Amino acid sequence: MSFTDKPLHRRAFLRGGLAAAAIIPASSFLASCAGAGSDTTGGDSGPKGEVSDTNPFGMAAGSTVEAVIFKGGYGIEYAEFAGKMAEKLQEGSSFKVQAATNIAQTLQPRFVGGNPPDVIDNSGAGLISINTIRDQLEDCNDIIDAKNYEGEVIRDTLYPGVTETGTFDGKFVQLNYVYTIYALFYSASLFEKEGWEVPKTFDELMDLGKKAKAKDKFLFGWGKEAATYYQTMAIASAIKQGGDEVRLALENLKPDCWSMPAVQAVFQALEKIVKAGYIKPGGAGTAFTAAQAQWSNDQDFILYPSGGWIENEMKDQTKKDFQMTAAPEPIIDSSSAMPWEAMHATAGEGYVIPSQGKNVAGAKEFMRAMLSKEAAVNFAKTNFTSTIVKDTVPADGFGSTALVSQVKLTEAAGENVFTWQFVDLYGLNTDQLVVWNTFLQGGSDAAELTKGLQGITDRVANDDSVEKVEVK
Amino acid sequence: MTTVETTNVGVHKHKTLTSRTWRKRNLTADKVSFFLVFLILPVACYLTFVVSPFLQAAYYSLTNWSGFSPKMKFIALDNYRRLFNDDIFLTSMKNSIIFAAILPLVTMIVALVFASFITVGGPSHGNIKGLRFSSFYRVVSFFPYVIPAIVIGIIWSQIYDPSSGLLNGVLTAIGFENFRAFAWLGSIYTARLAVMFVVVWGLIGFYMVLFIAAIKGVPGEIYEAARIDGAGRFRTIVSITLPLIRENVQTSMIYMGILAIDLYVYMAALEGGGGPANTTLVMSQQLFTTAFTRGQFGYACAMGVLLAAITLVYAGLVFAINRLTGGKNEVGE
Repeated sequence: MSFTDKPLHRRAFLRGGLAAAAIIPASSFLASCAGAGSDTTGGDSGPKGEVSDTNPFGMAAGSTVEAVIFKGGYGIEYAEFAGKMAEKLQEGSSFKVQAATNIAQTLQPRFVGGNPPDVIDNSGAGLISINTIRDQLEDCNDIIDAKNYEGEVIRDTLYPGVTETGTFDGKFVQLNYVYTIYALFYSASLFEKEGWEVPKTFDELMDLGKKAKAKDKFLFGWGKEAATYYQTMAIASAIKQGGDEVRLALENLKPDCWSMPAVQAVFQALEKIVKAGYIKPGGAGTAFTAAQAQWSNDQDFILYPSGGWIENEMKDQTKKDFQMTAAPEPIIDSSSAMPWEAMHATAGEGYVIPSQGKNVAGAKEFMRAMLSKEAAVNFAKTNFTSTIVKDTVPADGFGSTALVSQVKLTEAAGENVFTWQFVDLYGLNTDQLVVWNTFLQGGSDAAELTKGLQGITDRVANDDSVEKVEVK
Repeated sequence: MTTVETTNVGVHKHKTLTSRTWRKRNLTADKVSFFLVFLILPVACYLTFVVSPFLQAAYYSLTNWSGFSPKMKFIALDNYRRLFNDDIFLTSMKNSIIFAAILPLVTMIVALVFASFITVGGPSHGNIKGLRFSSFYRVVSFFPYVIPAIVIGIIWSQIYDPSSGLLNGVLTAIGFENFRAFAWLGSIYTARLAVMFVVVWGLIGFYMVLFIAAIKGVPGEIYEAARIDGAGRFRTIVSITLPLIRENVQTSMIYMGILAIDLYVYMAALEGGGGPANTTLVMSQQLFTTAFTRGQFGYACAMGVLLAAITLVYAGLVFAINRLTGGKNEVGE
């Protein structure tokens, strides 16, 4: 002990306290990193029941299934509906459907602790990167090989290619439930009134921009969180123009993949549109929902590249008699590798079943109910969006023009359906947003855009700690 | 163990005496329970909930833990090596440092000026007092602090909205046509200023009230004397107020600095994506994305450790500057 008997003593103590106080807020960040250090053994799929036609996975009688569903644009009622169906069929069982908005944050401790829910709708902005958990998930092939509640083999009822988006290195771990088409959306009533045609090429797009300008409207507009919708459109156009090799180069993070001729042609066409002032300025500072309302309600701009969810998302902010309609993304010229009608479509809302769940068989039963016609029709009806189950949308599209046009697009595309996953798979969207916001507001040209995007791709490609998925 | 200055021997002896008698006494149940409740329990809580996560995170920063499985591999300092080659992280670090350098200083200066006006900056004759209606100003300027940061962020993101925001509406109405659809939060030239303005706006009231309390503790005669000597309002702030409430300013600087290095909530509401060309991306945002979006908790923990280190260095700097500028004299001791 030391006593210097100076009044400083007390102050020195306070200083120490203050320094400690400085650490606390920082440590609260670190605390969120805390996890269980022990190694838990997984694979215990819980008690088994008897396998039968009505219970193909041998779900234990009277057992409980816990489903955590992302609560976003689609709500969770559709999952509750399927849960009730399953409860009716599996007497005494209980399907607990819970809502979550931030899947990664909510479920991270449970994954570490070895007690994840039985089935998860891994979606939304806060989803768990599938790359980090895919080795802990069940293969979903036996679900779609089973029969649905109406007695048909599920695999035969699905749109083609929907399992590919959930297959990584040969293992089908993510069952994407919602069939999402990407397109250029517009107001059919407005186009009819003005006598405008849907543009098939970027040249026609430029012309339309001019016509719109004459009517004091912009061609495009964007919101800061959704600037990459233009990337989605650009990639789709480039793939149609340049063919599958464009898709594969991007998917496999190849050096100079963004410099391929088809990609460059699209970027240059977009640059022309930006330079001509056909894009509503200010998007980099506008919330994307506000920007979308400028399109669907104020009609400040006339085309918006988006996905099938857009109608539901803007339900309350769409002008009366807007007649939201989908059109294929434009191509460069008629020498394109795929026809203009080719379609970018993918399955979204990734349902996953952790192998460590307490009731894996029950989770599969839940998915079987979800994939049954009754549940799929219910989803289409309440959300104006099709699931991966075919033929659930009637000719009138439940009164939705967007849904009808999407079905038409799907028919017109036929076999020419493609998608890509590298953006979500490697979590690139956040970085790409920055580059696209700059480009769309005229802060950079096509060359700088290419350089920025290539840098983001290269960083992942050269990072050994990131496991790559090879796409063939 | 004991180092004693010769002049203090007497005092020292007395203290040793007390500590000896203390040791001799038996530990009664009274004393034990006192220790338990006021020492052992808090220390245990502190160790469990503050120190241990801190150490744990420091350990995780040396692993490649994904955050979603119990498995992890020890990779020593690889994460730290990566940090200094990660240009996006370095951008976020630069931004955080810029915010930490500017925000506390600006907030303190404005808060101090306001506090002076409200307490001693009033009429230059008669008693020392603040401006007329000063208590009204005090309440009004405290308002923003009562609103949660996230709400402030949302309000201002609406005000800054390029097409329908209040700010551009007012600017275009008074004839600045250039601001039609100007993206305050979307331009690399204005984004940083725009978010800093919001943070300062939100916190000025709090520090002002803090300084008002401190200034009220200073005897009014000092101000009267200064006035008689001919000191103006500015001179009074610099030469009288500031030295006399030095300790309060230092504490405020540190709190404000910690907030400026974090800024997560404000940025989440105003610039969720890191702002134009990442000009407003801060470390805490990058940490969050790395952990939850990319599933790289080990790497994120390394960011956290660096964030904590920067916070400590900042606090150290503030102490050092205070001391170098004469803070050692301990005015008001």
